[in-house]
Amino acid sequence: MIASRSYLTMWRERQIKLLKDEIEAVLASLTGEASLFELAKESLSKVRGLAAETEHDRPWSLLSLIVCEAISGRYEHALPAAAALELFRASAEVFDDIEDGDNPDSIVARYGSAVATNVATTHLILAERAIARLKQRGVADCMVIRIMDTINSYYTVSCAGQHLDLSLNQKMAVSEDVYLKITKMKSSSTLECACCVGALLGGANQELVDKFALFGQNLGMASQIANDIQGIIHGNDIAKNKATLPIIYALTQADGEARNRLQLAFRKQPAPMNDYAPIRDLLFLTGAIHYSTIKMELYKQRALDILFNAELAEASIERLRLFLE
Amino acid sequence: MKSQALQELVKKIFGDEKTRLQFESNPDSVLAQFNLSEQEKKAVMSTHAKLGLVSGDSQQLEAVMHDTNTWSAT
Repeated sequence: MIASRSYLTMWRERQIKLLKDEIEAVLASLTGEASLFELAKESLSKVRGLAAETEHDRPWSLLSLIVCEAISGRYEHALPAAAALELFRASAEVFDDIEDGDNPDSIVARYGSAVATNVATTHLILAERAIARLKQRGVADCMVIRIMDTINSYYTVSCAGQHLDLSLNQKMAVSEDVYLKITKMKSSSTLECACCVGALLGGANQELVDKFALFGQNLGMASQIANDIQGIIHGNDIAKNKATLPIIYALTQADGEARNRLQLAFRKQPAPMNDYAPIRDLLFLTGAIHYSTIKMELYKQRALDILFNAELAEASIERLRLFLE
Repeated sequence: MKSQALQELVKKIFGDEKTRLQFESNPDSVLAQFNLSEQEKKAVMSTHAKLGLVSGDSQQLEAVMHDTNTWSAT
């Protein structure tokens, strides 16, 4: 068991080092502009591309590499694609901060929207350049184009999900169906993308590519619901009046006094809440946290079933199971 | 996808003391009353095994959530 853990740690550290090297190679074109280089690097640290990952963290930034290795037994040729995905994520983070305007540590809060927009745009351009580096790793031109198109397609869906989310009126009653649709488009599509790209670069046939994409989608849904539950436990989503799964469940399923209090808090209150503890307690008491936890487990269960199915197609799923434990 | 049966199950457990007690002593008998898929039943039992009935802000819950930290979410 100890030997196995040590082996896993060594494997992960090696992949992380190689990914960091690849990202730094892509960023090298910015070294003439020290300030932009530092800001681009800073936001990558926040999405883990250049951050130190501890033993207990799930290696999300390695997901595409792990899928690729699960299928083909190798991953080095996929490093530029993994770097590109980190750059896309970093860009999305910076744009999110501009749109939300609620993070005092963000680049937009410290330098303004013009600088932040330029940093996010730089990430996008560098991401496209990172994809082009696949050719240097011996990936065929047609596959480079397919990877570029796949990533751009998934991120188009993610942008559409973000637009749908931004378009909803805060006082509007959001249904669970709408919430799940937005989550699937906006959040889980990025993990689906990572798995799809990894499978394509692993040489999987279309059936296996689809399986891994579905695995990523379910992993992403579980991950977002976990984030929603944390947002209730820590109170930040309550304070922001954010319509997440536990809140949507409680607003639609609670009766009587509990329903009135929740409606007052989330649909009628004009300003963000300072004292979130009573609402958090109500969300526990109505079963909203329990329901959300079951939904998270359900998506994890689906992801696990897909992995077993992929194992039947001779993919090596051991490391992917780490994401579900 | 939304699950009506899952919503009804949780609402019943958290809204009806008798069902709650029955679920704690014999969860299968309560699950049998709802039109749940096998995966939904597994998810319910898995949650119950890890956390019991999540009715308080427990450190155990926070630990479980921490393990499913996010990359995709903002």
